[in-house]
Amino acid sequence: MRFEQLNPFTVAVYYLCVLGIIMFSMNPLLIAIALVTSVLSAVIGGTAGKKAHLFSLAVFLIAAVLNPLFVHKGQTPLFFFNDNPITLEATVYGLCAAGMLTAALYRLRDLSGVMTSDRVLYLFGRFSPQLALLLSMAIRYTALFRVRWRRTCDAQRALGLFTDGNLIDAVRCRARVLSILITWTLENGIVTAESMESRGYGTGRRTSYATYRVHRYDVILMLVCIWLTAVSAVGIYYSKAAFYPELSMDLLSPWGIAGAAAFTVLSVLPLIINGKEAIRWRLLLSKT
Amino acid sequence: MRVIENPRLRAVLRYGIPFVLIPALVALSAVLFEGQRYLIISLGIAVLALLLFMTGFEKRNIGSRRMVITAIMTALAVFGRFIPLFKPITAICVMTAIYLGAEAGFLCGSLSVLISNIWFGQGPWTPFQMLGFGLIGLIAGYLSRVLMRSNVLLLLYGVVAGIAYSFIMDIWTVLWYAGGFDWGLYSAALLSALPFTALYAVSNVVFLLILRKPVGNKLNRVKIKYGV
Repeated sequence: MRFEQLNPFTVAVYYLCVLGIIMFSMNPLLIAIALVTSVLSAVIGGTAGKKAHLFSLAVFLIAAVLNPLFVHKGQTPLFFFNDNPITLEATVYGLCAAGMLTAALYRLRDLSGVMTSDRVLYLFGRFSPQLALLLSMAIRYTALFRVRWRRTCDAQRALGLFTDGNLIDAVRCRARVLSILITWTLENGIVTAESMESRGYGTGRRTSYATYRVHRYDVILMLVCIWLTAVSAVGIYYSKAAFYPELSMDLLSPWGIAGAAAFTVLSVLPLIINGKEAIRWRLLLSKT
Repeated sequence: MRVIENPRLRAVLRYGIPFVLIPALVALSAVLFEGQRYLIISLGIAVLALLLFMTGFEKRNIGSRRMVITAIMTALAVFGRFIPLFKPITAICVMTAIYLGAEAGFLCGSLSVLISNIWFGQGPWTPFQMLGFGLIGLIAGYLSRVLMRSNVLLLLYGVVAGIAYSFIMDIWTVLWYAGGFDWGLYSAALLSALPFTALYAVSNVVFLLILRKPVGNKLNRVKIKYGV
């Protein structure tokens, strides 16, 4: 099974672990690993286009520059800018914060791609069925608004009431279409509510349409995620990374290395799973 | 829809959730977890918002109708977020709050952010955006009598909401970036967000001006016709 097809719970746990470590640790070694692996998985997974990479680069540069410009803590001035010291410590902290931000943005983009609306609904539905119903209705109406918007526009155009000639006309036509849309949907919604009532909404427990089963594979994967996260956390705890007032780092203690190794494995876990699947697919094809 | 029967508990929930519990949760997510558990926190806020909304219900058969209408208004806000640059989300939340009550406004604001972020990207900013828009809706609901009567005050509310939203979001930016609060960074963030702040305020005014009459009439009509 590809990583994206796993149970939403497993995927959520995985991203919670990875994002947790990325955002919780201000450890330069782990942030470097996070940055490299998240760019790597975005490139291999094809989740980020050229524009997204450029945007991330811009975020990285701006975040890296902002900290030394505004924070003047630290003991080692590199040079003076407008009579304010630009310190080595603030620069290094800025680089780390920028790396953290960029890596987190890449991971969040991955997460948005994997967590489609039905999966979000499944996750939320487990906690509150009523919230899930409201969310699913709102998502449904969002899709419906798009369809009905097009349909109303077409109808208005066929009637000769829709013009794109100048700006005022265009805005006025769209405002009219929106007005029609709202009236239609509100009336329709009351019918939906009526129908829900008559079918016994609120009288018993709700069942859900999506049935993701929790397989043994999911459980094992979740445990592996949590174990790797625990090792990384211990690694973070035992390695020293203080920025102010003076840089004092001790990243390469035995526990620090173990933590970094665990985090590396955790970061590339989806790539390993998908790679394994690709190899298996190749083997199956070559056998027949 | 389940209704909370005890009136005192309902009153406690009505004021305790928006002004005590939700800000505490957001502060917790920013300080204690450094924004890492945004999914759980946003989930918590959504559940609290729903609980708040439920406290506003009085009768059972009105509940599901109001729920559907709130879902429609939420969808409208999400739909509006796809318009480039000018976003009617605040205007729609305010209209919902004025006509359907403060709770509905809160729910409309927070859930429309949650849903539209499925397309625009979820992140640690989700709970803060949910809180921002939720509070804009909630306060508009509490001021509904005044806002319904006076056109000028309604537009003024739009401007204030736009600016306040930007201020709240920049607090989050600084907290996540610097790990603590820093006035220098905060003012820098406010300054760099100035064009966006202006855009928020302008688009709020424009959309309130456009939507006030037609949407207000429609909601009023549905309210009278079906007794929502």
